[in-house]
Amino acid sequence: MSVTRLFDPGSIAVIGASDTPGKIGYEAMRNALEFGGDVYPVNPSGEGDVFGREFVASVTEIDDDPDLALLCVPAAAVPDVIEECGEAGVGGAVIFAGGFAETGGDGEQLQERLIDAAESSGVALLGPNTSGFLVPEKNLYATFTTDLETIPAGNLAIVAQSGGLSYSLGFRAQNLGIGVSAMVGLGNRANIGFKEAIEYFDDDERTETILLHVEGTADARELLETCESVDTPVVAYHVGEQDVGDFAESHTGALTGEYELYKAGFAQYGVPTVRSCAELIDAGTALATCPEPDGPNVGVVTAQAGPGIAITDRLKANGAVLPSLTEETQDVVEEILPGITFSENPVDTGRPMPEFGEVVGAVARDENVDVVLVYELYEKGLGYPVETLEEVVEDVDKPIVFASGGPERVLDEELPKLEELGIPTYRTPESGADAVAGLVQYARRNADPNVDDAVSGVTADE
Amino acid sequence: MSDPIDAAAESGRSALTEPEAKALLGERGLSVPDGERVRSPAEAVDVAERIGYPVVVKVASPSIQHKSEWADGIGVNVNLEDDAAVRSAASAILEAAADRDVDADVLVEEAVDLEAGLEVIVGGTRDPSFGPTVLLGLGGTAVEVLQDTTHRIAPISTAEALEMTEELEASPLFDGYRGGPTVDRLAVAEAIVTVGDLLAEREDVRDVEINPVLARPDDAVALDALVTRTDDA
Repeated sequence: MSVTRLFDPGSIAVIGASDTPGKIGYEAMRNALEFGGDVYPVNPSGEGDVFGREFVASVTEIDDDPDLALLCVPAAAVPDVIEECGEAGVGGAVIFAGGFAETGGDGEQLQERLIDAAESSGVALLGPNTSGFLVPEKNLYATFTTDLETIPAGNLAIVAQSGGLSYSLGFRAQNLGIGVSAMVGLGNRANIGFKEAIEYFDDDERTETILLHVEGTADARELLETCESVDTPVVAYHVGEQDVGDFAESHTGALTGEYELYKAGFAQYGVPTVRSCAELIDAGTALATCPEPDGPNVGVVTAQAGPGIAITDRLKANGAVLPSLTEETQDVVEEILPGITFSENPVDTGRPMPEFGEVVGAVARDENVDVVLVYELYEKGLGYPVETLEEVVEDVDKPIVFASGGPERVLDEELPKLEELGIPTYRTPESGADAVAGLVQYARRNADPNVDDAVSGVTADE
Repeated sequence: MSDPIDAAAESGRSALTEPEAKALLGERGLSVPDGERVRSPAEAVDVAERIGYPVVVKVASPSIQHKSEWADGIGVNVNLEDDAAVRSAASAILEAAADRDVDADVLVEEAVDLEAGLEVIVGGTRDPSFGPTVLLGLGGTAVEVLQDTTHRIAPISTAEALEMTEELEASPLFDGYRGGPTVDRLAVAEAIVTVGDLLAEREDVRDVEINPVLARPDDAVALDALVTRTDDA
């Protein structure tokens, strides 16, 4: 099964291509043309050309063996078209049509026929019932929706069970100015499922973290084992807290709901979990940007007490440990700022000040601290301590996360200077805390079981 | 003794009897109360005298899973202090079974003092998607209301099972909260590991439920046990 030809094609056939604006076959064609490789419109009733490319009557009549086919045809036609794709040497196909297993009954049979049609030729199937995928770096938009070119290239791979939710995540990232390496809606997972997609993006050199959305799968154990086996961090958003287990005669059956098993399973297999699209992106950017955290110990430095308290509260609720700082660190901090408001952890400087960066540096260098979370409102006269933090980042191989607030225009201009240092930035105290919670969960859940420190926390995280 | 799971399969039963389930778990290292299965009131008295009073007398039949609700509540008799009480309880069970045309035996077991420990539930189920899983919960009637439970994908190590005991909201109760007994977390952890291993090794087992396990200062004893088979095994 060539997942590589599917996700990294050199040529694309758009089957059911149309020259009528608004039709899926038109939109998919227009999107496909963004990509630099060869694109073939296929339609037996097509005449002349579309976007300057000549219609071909059948995928089998293309001279080339197209790597990827986009199927813009009705569900009933899909199995036969996939058979033709097999004959034509197509590597992978995206099937947009719904009306397969998700509808039960006849749809399930149709999906069986589809899987059989792909089996002998080994065509990799994304979908059916998906919106497709995109790879911004390559201008590859294997989908029929619009305005996708606004989603920037980056290092997060979105792998969503739902095509619709993949867009929610992709556009949320876009709104935050965060780029993605790929965005995939798996749909009905006829023969490309979580395992194949996760393994592919683990090998993808642009991808630093995989953002996973899961509603449910028939082989959750395989999903968990895949997440554990890959090197790239995976963060998971599983939806379905309100589902309850099927009726069972024993307590054990009644008490063992699917949600509990996903929750326990992701924790057991080293995967941080979140409860919203926003958190998924917050945690994902921290994992993709920062060095791997060594443990769950967070040093918090804040220029304002209130946000620092909100951060601390949220961090503790998520299993973070706020260790005492070493005496050495406390001495350094008090030397920088005599009479400082609070020199334990969190360190509260009381207000932004020129020495703020040095305080962050002292906490970052503390041996008790694995992760640093900074909160500082933007203050015009001071700006952010970019130069000091540059030294700290070079000196200390720990995640440093920065949360702030200020006029949007100023933040848009100033925060990228920190981003360039490998410091992910957030615009509320809570989103910064959620990002760090993801790092803490990752550290806890992947801790070496032979090191005592790893199991010292008494939360449900391990 | 032949394998009780195979025995249940051969006679077309979907569940093991309580004595069978306890024998299976006992062989795998769990503590179970001293007891014997008998077929007459006289045998019941012999066994009770061997074990020593007080004893528990229960109905044992593959077709009766909710023993305490069976036959107007005569299926479970706790804290029987003498021969007469045992004889009468055993007779009542056998007569009720005969009236209902149920093939039933009588299980006579040593009585266990519930005050001397903490009741927990240890279970495991074969999930269609996750495969073998285990759970630990606070036991007794509280389990249904509080649902204080924690789960793992099985099999698991003893260290992981120990963590489960720490994850329960009720965890402080293991440590002798307000004069209660300090109980053996490790023994509870080992019971969870045993259940996980059983499900991992035997694909013909669907559910295991030990409810309650009485965690005591030096052990954890299975006071009741249910083992069900997979439908198609």
